[in-house]
Amino acid sequence: MNKKQKNMSWQSLSSIIYPAIFGIVVFVMWQGGLLNILLHTDTNTLPSPSRINSIIMDNQAKIFLNLKATVIVALVGLLFGSLIGYGIAIVAAQYRKWGAGGITLASAFNAVPIVALAPVMNNLTKHISSSVDFRSMLAKTLVVMIVCIAGMSVNAYRGLTELKPFSEDLMKTYAAGNFTVFKKLLLPNSIPYVFTALRISLPGSIISALVTEYFSEKVIGIGRQIRENIVTAQFATAWAYIIISCLLGIVLYVLLLLVESVVMKNRNRK
Amino acid sequence: MDTANTETEILMSDIGMKFNSGPDEVTALTSVSLDIKKGEFVSLVGPSGCGKTTLLRIIADLLNPTSGTINIGGESTKQARLDGKYGMVFQSPVLYEWRNVVKNIELPLEIMGVPKNERLERAEEMLEMVGLKDFGNSYPGQLSGGMQQRVGIARALVIQPEILLMDEPFSALDEFTRERLHEDLLNIWRRTNKTIVFVTHNISESVFLSDKICVLSPHPGRLSAVVDVDFERPRLMDIKSTPEYTSKVFEVRSSFEGV
Repeated sequence: MNKKQKNMSWQSLSSIIYPAIFGIVVFVMWQGGLLNILLHTDTNTLPSPSRINSIIMDNQAKIFLNLKATVIVALVGLLFGSLIGYGIAIVAAQYRKWGAGGITLASAFNAVPIVALAPVMNNLTKHISSSVDFRSMLAKTLVVMIVCIAGMSVNAYRGLTELKPFSEDLMKTYAAGNFTVFKKLLLPNSIPYVFTALRISLPGSIISALVTEYFSEKVIGIGRQIRENIVTAQFATAWAYIIISCLLGIVLYVLLLLVESVVMKNRNRK
Repeated sequence: MDTANTETEILMSDIGMKFNSGPDEVTALTSVSLDIKKGEFVSLVGPSGCGKTTLLRIIADLLNPTSGTINIGGESTKQARLDGKYGMVFQSPVLYEWRNVVKNIELPLEIMGVPKNERLERAEEMLEMVGLKDFGNSYPGQLSGGMQQRVGIARALVIQPEILLMDEPFSALDEFTRERLHEDLLNIWRRTNKTIVFVTHNISESVFLSDKICVLSPHPGRLSAVVDVDFERPRLMDIKSTPEYTSKVFEVRSSFEGV
């Protein structure tokens, strides 16, 4: 037992240690210039971490402005996309005969590439407002939203229909109405599935926000900055934005896991 | 034994149940007539496919019989369900894992709109009755199978139903836990005076618990015998070693047809 516990803790520790060692080795090689030699690149296309860091420090205000634009697009799109996805799941679960098929159809939307969606949305929102800021923000958010709908509807549908045996019978013996069944049984039952969906769509929302910025009317956002700086051969600045986008993804994902562990705390008690 | 209560609680006449229609038609039950008295402990015993669970679900208004009539104290099964006359215990405990034990027991009271303070009070009273006083704040995942089923029983009783419907509630438990729960169930029954309809495939279990055993035979499901069990109450585990007990088990066993 004790040995087993020891093994377990070593396992969980090693799952952190090995990647950390790998990361440090890469970092040292990168900073020391070894990476440039191995990849046959000059320090202009692949600047050292310290150089990238100094660029980030020098451009804090500008980076923050772009970061904010990307975060708003990603999170607002994620929120509304997920809500719509959940709504679709509720309807599909209510009318199961064609519901399952409808969900499959919805997931086909996931196959539409962001690159194709972005110009369509730009076109659709063209006349909606005279403000460029609002227009391009809306177009970008719509793309993110569409990307997030399918994942949520597929998972939430499972959460609303995969119930423990007899749990619906139990509600029926209490003569519970539809809304009560939803509130007391279906909604709580679907929570783990909602988190499964969010773990997929959160990174998805950031990626689609970055990509859709390439095509938007207004030049703003981390993704757009990566592109602009590459086009103008400002590789070090492009790298700075790449690093920021990585950090954004990691930080939001960790936040999501924290929220999940708090919400699911009681359920997982063994 | 109770001679005072002879009022009929559940009256079934000529109940038939068919599933599907056309070439896939399956006859689950044919002409079951049965009356169950108030306060009686009745078992429905039979092998799988005999329709015992179907019959229980018909009583519970989870299924509508295709023929025959059934009434509960003079009213329909639907009315009885809406009036909260049924407490149901299923094969699995069906606890909601996001609620702690007390909240699980409070669930039916929440649905019925009972005020918060009263809910807690009644739930804790039930917890004490099933012997889980100190586990109110535990979560289902932290309890053993037997304890979970106790919570299921507490939840069924908290609405003070007239009839307790139990569908093979102990079939997933080990022998020791099951025997403990048998004794506890009989104690609870004595204290609460409920009518209990208990579905099982375990003959010995039905003999130990019941006043009356309804033997159901399969293909098609039908009532093939009703065996009265008049051992003294309260019953203790010891009676299982008496010759009377053994011969009663044998009597039930030999009343099955076509098995």
